Amino acid sequence: MTSKRILIVLRHAPHGSSWSREGLEAALVGAALGQEVSLLFMGDGVFTLCSEQQVGALGQKGTAPMIDVLPMYDIERLCVDEQALIARGLETKDLMVAIEYVDPAELIAEHDIVLTF
Amino acid sequence: MNYALIVYGAPYSQQAAHSALRFAEALPHRGHRAATVFFYHDGIYNATRLMTPPQDEPNLRQRWSLLAKAHNTSLLVCVASALKRGIVDNKEARRHGLDGDSLAPEFELTGLGQLLDAALTHDCVVTFGA
Amino acid sequence: MVLHILNRSPFASRVHEDMLRAMVNEDRVLLIEDGVSAALKAGITLLPTIDERLYALKEDLEARGLSQRCDPCVNIVDVDGFVALTEQADKVVSWF
Repeated sequence: MTSKRILIVLRHAPHGSSWSREGLEAALVGAALGQEVSLLFMGDGVFTLCSEQQVGALGQKGTAPMIDVLPMYDIERLCVDEQALIARGLETKDLMVAIEYVDPAELIAEHDIVLTF
Repeated sequence: MNYALIVYGAPYSQQAAHSALRFAEALPHRGHRAATVFFYHDGIYNATRLMTPPQDEPNLRQRWSLLAKAHNTSLLVCVASALKRGIVDNKEARRHGLDGDSLAPEFELTGLGQLLDAALTHDCVVTFGA
Repeated sequence: MVLHILNRSPFASRVHEDMLRAMVNEDRVLLIEDGVSAALKAGITLLPTIDERLYALKEDLEARGLSQRCDPCVNIVDVDGFVALTEQADKVVSWF
């Protein structure tokens, strides 16, 4: 299979919809296929990175366990649009993992395939 | 060019499926082909064989089926998304002891790897969001 | 050139703001579905600096009765024009 750089853009908050789970699932599968995968969190997608997340009241899984396993899949670039954090009054200390601030346009330019969720 | 289309929207709830189908049907006008349509998120409901729209509305099930036959388009459905929402083929129905299946014959349940594979191998990827 | 597809009304959703932050100068925007309301005069003010790189899908405008209400700077394309835009793009990114 040809090797391409894949960017998964997550724009939705966890729990309220399945977008972030499905986006992370795609990222994990891409990495398992041996592709270089980066994640970009924009808009409400930054809530996916908040610390202290739990399962939902009915036992819905949420996304925190998937964020935890990213390093095992060699997904190392967790990129954040700083504006999204600022707009929500969040700081890096509120997040469960180390992130990298990026210019979304530059990041898109560096990747061959962009899938939005 | 070979196109991969990704459909996230449920039929008749949002326009995504209509837009994707319309786009897929137009591709041959310019010498292209929808080689793969991948249904994910609520898009998986496009694959139900039990879809019964009134006669004065476009029949999406029939149109997807015609597309697949005319252009040898693979209609792929994320198996994890489909099973939990009640879209099952005969094999999965038997495996889970269900009394019937719901997947239309032109569609195929596959893993998410097929979505990535289509994105990696086709010339252009277009997502129809919901 | 990246083709950005927007299918949400900028009057109802803020996804266009994320799209604008993800764009560079030569990129294009195609408005489809509810996104075509961004082609109105009041809509294009919410998509500043795109000017002649803004396209809208004819059939979605017509279905909504908005064809004659577009700002003149918007390029109106039919579905074949939509296909042509994707041909010219290095990649296509959808915002919804």
